[in-house]
Amino acid sequence: MSGSIITCEDVCVAYGRTEVLHQVNLEIPEGIFLPFTGPNGSGKTSLLRAMLGLIPIRRGRIHSPFHQNTAGYVPQHKVIDPLFPVSVRQIVGMGLYPKRRRFRPLSAEQRDAIENALAMLDMAEHADKTFRELSGGMKQKTLIARALVSGPDVIIMDEPTSELDEQSEREVLGYLLKLNREQGKTVLMAHHDLELMRTLTSSMCQVRHGKAAIVSIGDGGPANA
Amino acid sequence: MHEAMTCLYCQFPEALRAGLLVSAVCALLGVFVILKRAVFIGITLSEVATCGVAASFLLGIPPLAGSLVLVLASVSLLAIPFEKQRIPRDTLMGIMFIAASALSILLVSKSGPGLMEVNAVLYGDLILSSKKELYTLLALLVPALVLFLIFLRPILYSFIDREAARVLGIKTWIWESLYFLMLGVVISATSQIAGALLVFCYLVVCPATALILSKRIKWVLAIAPIAGMLATFLGMVISFEHDFPTNQTICIVSCVLFGIAAAASWIYRKIIPINQPH
Repeated sequence: MSGSIITCEDVCVAYGRTEVLHQVNLEIPEGIFLPFTGPNGSGKTSLLRAMLGLIPIRRGRIHSPFHQNTAGYVPQHKVIDPLFPVSVRQIVGMGLYPKRRRFRPLSAEQRDAIENALAMLDMAEHADKTFRELSGGMKQKTLIARALVSGPDVIIMDEPTSELDEQSEREVLGYLLKLNREQGKTVLMAHHDLELMRTLTSSMCQVRHGKAAIVSIGDGGPANA
Repeated sequence: MHEAMTCLYCQFPEALRAGLLVSAVCALLGVFVILKRAVFIGITLSEVATCGVAASFLLGIPPLAGSLVLVLASVSLLAIPFEKQRIPRDTLMGIMFIAASALSILLVSKSGPGLMEVNAVLYGDLILSSKKELYTLLALLVPALVLFLIFLRPILYSFIDREAARVLGIKTWIWESLYFLMLGVVISATSQIAGALLVFCYLVVCPATALILSKRIKWVLAIAPIAGMLATFLGMVISFEHDFPTNQTICIVSCVLFGIAAAASWIYRKIIPINQPH
């Protein structure tokens, strides 16, 4: 790890008059695999969305590199309306938008990146299906593939495995760990299963009552050693 | 039939050209009206455009100017983020629709020109399109069409998944606003010539036909204008041959085409699984 990749200084986030995050101070090291845990409504999603610039912060500052290099982002819900007649391949290709030139078709390299992202999540055989033809787990895998296709340095996921069965969840988490360990990607994700996270990593960001802190969770995996 | 086609083209060339242009552009933009589940916006803006035309008669300004001002003002109002409002966007559209419909009639009753003349302009009749109207359509619809095609990718991505698009660096509010601005201009320009009902038909029925026939966005965007132009051509020929009202005939033909497409799609889905290996 070589310094902080995201720094939050006295960050406050509010929806109307309700403040959901109060003076959050965090330094997130580069190359960490960091789950964000906490009860429902504790502010996990708000904190991650604030880091991405998706919601305004009322006070404080967030330093992040996303104005230079976009993050890979997997939202919490099935955000894509199944009415849209777009294939899995097209949705994954959306992740390459910042790298594409207007009016130009995908380059061979970009097409390979899409196929690789699909193959890594066992979605290659479903590439031509539309979003409405997929199961919940497949939809989630598609969104994960879209987040990974551009090879971002930071991957931010909001409950990325919530729609997956146990085996698919372990596969996806295993893949994320591999990205973290072998390629040094920073992986931040909201996750509700504290026990599962204990087996994967040695630290987590605990979000509770609008406050957040990175804490050690004992045995942990080698990700943050 | 062939004779009717020839006569139609000889006697009403502007009407035929205007009809094909209006149908193609409205059907293309209408694909996103359906995908955004904002079908009601089509009829609301058409009715607001009609109200703008009625107001123009009273104020003595060009009908297109009145229509454009009211429609663009309505689009700006509808562009307000409604996620956190206590009233959903649909409800506001309903209120606007009712106000515009009622106000159109009230304004017409107080306007100077004869009721028949005002009604003709208010509710449009495609077959009466003039050369001047065709040029006006070309001046407004062609730039809107070009802009739509140039910025199709960011508009599509903004509509598919707004948050992910924002993370990818797409300024979603710009592209969504641009789309609705283009929609407003197109509806203003076309409602006066084609009438609110026919414009609504092009915005909804023709894209729906395309969406039933294909599950690939590029094909949907190609089929929708073709369906619109086909319905316009057939509708005009039938109305010419049997002396039916043109706008309503085109609407019925569009619905028949939709019915044929739905039946064909249903039959295709029933046959394909039989041929697939188990």
